[in-house]
Amino acid sequence: MSLRIANQVRRGPAVTLSVDGQAVEAFAGESLAAALWAAGRRALRQSPRAGTPRGVFCMMGACQECLVRVDGQRALACQVAVYADMRVETGAAT
Amino acid sequence: MSVNDKARIPGGETFDAAVVGAGVMGATTALFLARGGMRCALIDAGGVCREASGVNAGTLTLHMTRAALIPYAMRGWDMWKNAPDWLGGDPGVCTTDGLSLAFTAQEAALLEERVEARRAQGAPIEIVTASRAREIEPGLTDDARLVAHCPMDGYVTANLTGHTYRRALVEAGVRLYENAPVTGIEAGDGGFRLAMAGVAPRARRLVLAGGVWLEDMLAWLGLRIPIKALVNQLIVTERVQPVMRSVLGIASGLLSLKQFANGTVLVGGGWQGKGDRARHTTEIVPDNLIGNLRLARYVVPALAETRIVRAWLGFEAETSDALPLVGPLRGIAEAYAIGCVHSGYTSGPYFGRLLAQRILGQEPEMPLFDADRLLATP
Amino acid sequence: MIRDPEILILGAGPAGVGAALALADHGVRALVVDSGFAAGGQVYRPMPDTFAPNGTPGLGPDQEEGARQRRLLADSGVATAFGRLVWSIGTDLRVDALGPDGPEFWRPKGLVVAAGATERVVPFPGWTLPGVMGLAAATILLKSQCMLPGRRVVVAGCGPLLFAVANAVVKGGGQVVALADLAGPGTWLRAMPALLGRPGDLLQGGAWMARLAAKGVPLMFRHTVREARALGAGLKVSLGAVDANGRPMRPARDRTLEADSLVVGHGLIPSTEALRLLGAEMYFDAEAGGWVPRLDDDQRASRAGLYAAGDGTGVRGAVGAFLAGRIAGLTAALDLGRIDAGQHARAAGPLRRRLAQARRFGRAMSRLMAPPSGLYDALDAHTVVCRCEDVTRAEVNQALESGAADVNQLKSWTRCGMGPCQGRMCGDTVAQIVALRTGSRAAAGAWTARVPLRPLNVEALAGDFDYDDIPLPTAAPL
Ligand SMILES: Cc1cc2nc3c(=O)[nH]c(=O)nc-3n(C[C@H](O)[C@H](O)[C@H](O)COP(=O)(O)OP(=O)(O)OC[C@H]3O[C@@H](n4cnc5c(N)ncnc54)[C@H](O)[C@@H]3O)c2cc1C
Ligand SMILES: Cc1cc2nc3c(=O)[nH]c(=O)nc-3n(C[C@H](O)[C@H](O)[C@H](O)COP(=O)(O)OP(=O)(O)OC[C@H]3O[C@@H](n4cnc5c(N)ncnc54)[C@H](O)[C@@H]3O)c2cc1C
Ligand code: FES
Repeated sequence: MSLRIANQVRRGPAVTLSVDGQAVEAFAGESLAAALWAAGRRALRQSPRAGTPRGVFCMMGACQECLVRVDGQRALACQVAVYADMRVETGAAT
Repeated sequence: MSVNDKARIPGGETFDAAVVGAGVMGATTALFLARGGMRCALIDAGGVCREASGVNAGTLTLHMTRAALIPYAMRGWDMWKNAPDWLGGDPGVCTTDGLSLAFTAQEAALLEERVEARRAQGAPIEIVTASRAREIEPGLTDDARLVAHCPMDGYVTANLTGHTYRRALVEAGVRLYENAPVTGIEAGDGGFRLAMAGVAPRARRLVLAGGVWLEDMLAWLGLRIPIKALVNQLIVTERVQPVMRSVLGIASGLLSLKQFANGTVLVGGGWQGKGDRARHTTEIVPDNLIGNLRLARYVVPALAETRIVRAWLGFEAETSDALPLVGPLRGIAEAYAIGCVHSGYTSGPYFGRLLAQRILGQEPEMPLFDADRLLATP
Repeated sequence: MIRDPEILILGAGPAGVGAALALADHGVRALVVDSGFAAGGQVYRPMPDTFAPNGTPGLGPDQEEGARQRRLLADSGVATAFGRLVWSIGTDLRVDALGPDGPEFWRPKGLVVAAGATERVVPFPGWTLPGVMGLAAATILLKSQCMLPGRRVVVAGCGPLLFAVANAVVKGGGQVVALADLAGPGTWLRAMPALLGRPGDLLQGGAWMARLAAKGVPLMFRHTVREARALGAGLKVSLGAVDANGRPMRPARDRTLEADSLVVGHGLIPSTEALRLLGAEMYFDAEAGGWVPRLDDDQRASRAGLYAAGDGTGVRGAVGAFLAGRIAGLTAALDLGRIDAGQHARAAGPLRRRLAQARRFGRAMSRLMAPPSGLYDALDAHTVVCRCEDVTRAEVNQALESGAADVNQLKSWTRCGMGPCQGRMCGDTVAQIVALRTGSRAAAGAWTARVPLRPLNVEALAGDFDYDDIPLPTAAPL
């Protein structure tokens, strides 16, 4: 079962992102955090001091746990919308 | 008065010495006075090293030190390097190479002149080739025209200063009065009476160490010495992978850049914000923040990929001739002042020790900086 | 976008929209700035415009109210600057933002701060694991992304969002493995009259409770999360009983459940950084969610030209936020001389009456969201308090023992609160721990507000430049 709730909405065009070199299917306009979440990519980085895995936590740009690289730039996954061929690197941000 | 100390402070106690202001200047003086056998009180409006001495960039650099202060700064550098020996702890001291850079012809001329002046005072600074500079600092831009190298550089994690000093002071038996602003001083026969809420400690000797607030403190004794308040801005990034290993600056002194062991990169150099020392408020000047950041990013291109997480400011004191005020206040027996030292964090421990030597009746290793030259004529 | 707004509104949630509409009514040149890409704030966060709604999404009529507010804002003609993060505000009211066009700034005559709230999650062992997310965070996933926080979810914490989220998960086809509420049913019964004072609101706790019970969702009142552990790609979540103060009880009867995710939240905290940066007078009000600005009846803060409204002034909910925003807008128009005191009174009067009603509801809601003090006592030594810097409770205690007297001194000594979230995630917890020693939150203090208000990319802020474009000050003395 997909985490995307099917009956409530018609999503936009399907797009493919590259996440750490692997293809991930998502929908244009979707939040990158949601797209990664739906793809089961929950650990997005490691905390710099203890090195423990972290992922989406606040969904509002406050906690900074969803920091990834998007097309080479640091970005919060919960604050950017996906587009076709977006290149995402997890774990590489710090 | 801090909650912790409230219960323990008896009123009207008499000390051999009272030091007002617990920045690195006052705290070191108090520490060595106590170690020299004096019963010493250290009083601060806030906590130990929470103003300039706790919020500064922590750079231990000779590249930015005023030439006349180089001998002091070198000894200060040495004290920091051996902090565990005399301070009983390590506030994150790291010694490394320092580079000072020039990007324009004008800066190159400035750099040459400054290197010469500092070398004349004993600083081990040398002009190096571009390739040597890149060896020392692989993170450095290719664009530097002239580079000076000093093997005697480094930094301290300034925000840990208070923690380390506080423990040393307590262990040395210094009586700490924190969150206890002094509002005035009565000088009488045989000593001083400090006006502050609740208690009025007395002391046979008085050391004023109030940083930018030194001007007000001197006024308590009827002395008028104008002291300028610089409002320095600092910017720090989040923890990032290593992008540099040395301390970087530019000829004019307007950059201080380094990466701490924890991965954060600190950007400073004396770019000015706004502040009001009387009301204790500061605020950044956004254009200066962006300017300082551009400079840093120019010098270490890899910084482009990082994020800044915080900027803050602190007050730095400067006398009219930009030289220190460290020594006895003539005309008032057993009253002393210490402060207004350029790159005062680097040499603070040394100046504190010198003044303590003087107060303990020893001959200071190096000359002090007399207050008389600064007294404004009424 | 306009370059010279008379009034700048920070935040395009209901409070900001309310202010914008009132200002537009009186011809004031206003600009609404928000880091998001559309108005609505947290409560009315819209779906991506590539999505076409198909019936009622999981969280109910809010989508419609959000759409209505966005329409009103668009029709009002008020200028908007979306995708702009406000990172600095000077005491001269210079407002600096970073957006797609790089850094920009405005110098309005007045500023309405409508910055909303962030979620509070009281730490427990395992709260940093991927798969653990906030309760309010889950509402964002559900309402704006039509996405489940998990197939099998444990929902825990306190406050009305518990039932809203659990209900939306069930409605979306997910399973709520358990719902652990710190409150007991009695707490809800007592709050019910005030909550029902707002029929039609999404926080229809009672009805949802009944529906969840009917669906067989285990409703565990007076329960809390003891611990979460990773289990394969999912989680093992231990739940246990607490007393009325949130202190652990009957540990022998703790239950461990397997789930995909754990959604947990303990209310909201007003976002007051912008106000504190300007030196606005603040006071601590636990029931309002934390530190809040002192405001007069007309939404004026303690300095000229500064107004505030919405959850950032005390958590009172979306309806109250919109009304308070309108009043703030009217007051700014009054202070600019665009309306007179009579007009202001006539327009603000009815709004204020409705606001009083909304606040009654809001207060009942906030009370339900306030975490009981026992939760902090239960925080063990190894639990990470500061997520960014992995600072544990034990390290916080050590700093307190070596003399740290307030949260800022503690921050210097431990790095707690120095990471990229800028203390947003740990601030409330740390202050609560410090207050156990200082006796009060007022004495524990609050983080000093710092610029930038959020982390900023150096590349974006520095932009494209040559060495000559760096405005170097004069050289330091030699
Ligand atoms: C942002 C910044 C960056 C800097 N970077 C560097 C650097 O990289 N390297 C370097 O070498 N130097 C640096 N400096 C300079 C250095 O920090 C100072 O020279 C040094 O810390 C000054 O120490 P101080 O003890 O004289 O003053 P402070 O540390 O300011 O201490 C003065 C104390 O007096 C107390 N006080 C004031 N009024 C009263 C009162 N009425 N009663 C009781 N107590 C009172 C204050 O609370 C304060 O604690 C920097 C300075 C700043 C501001
Ligand atoms: C994650 C979350 C989800 C929530 N979900 C619900 C819900 O489903 N139902 C409900 O009843 N209540 C919900 N709430 C409570 C909700 O916050 C309020 O009741 C309501 O949104 C308050 O409106 P507001 O206008 O005061 O603030 P908000 O709606 O929070 O609006 C504040 C706006 O300010 C912007 N902003 C803040 N700082 C800056 C800055 N520095 N630069 C640029 N823009 C900035 C934000 O992007 C935001 O859009 C939620 C709260 C949170 C934190
Ligand atoms: S999930 Fe918290 S910032 Fe993105």
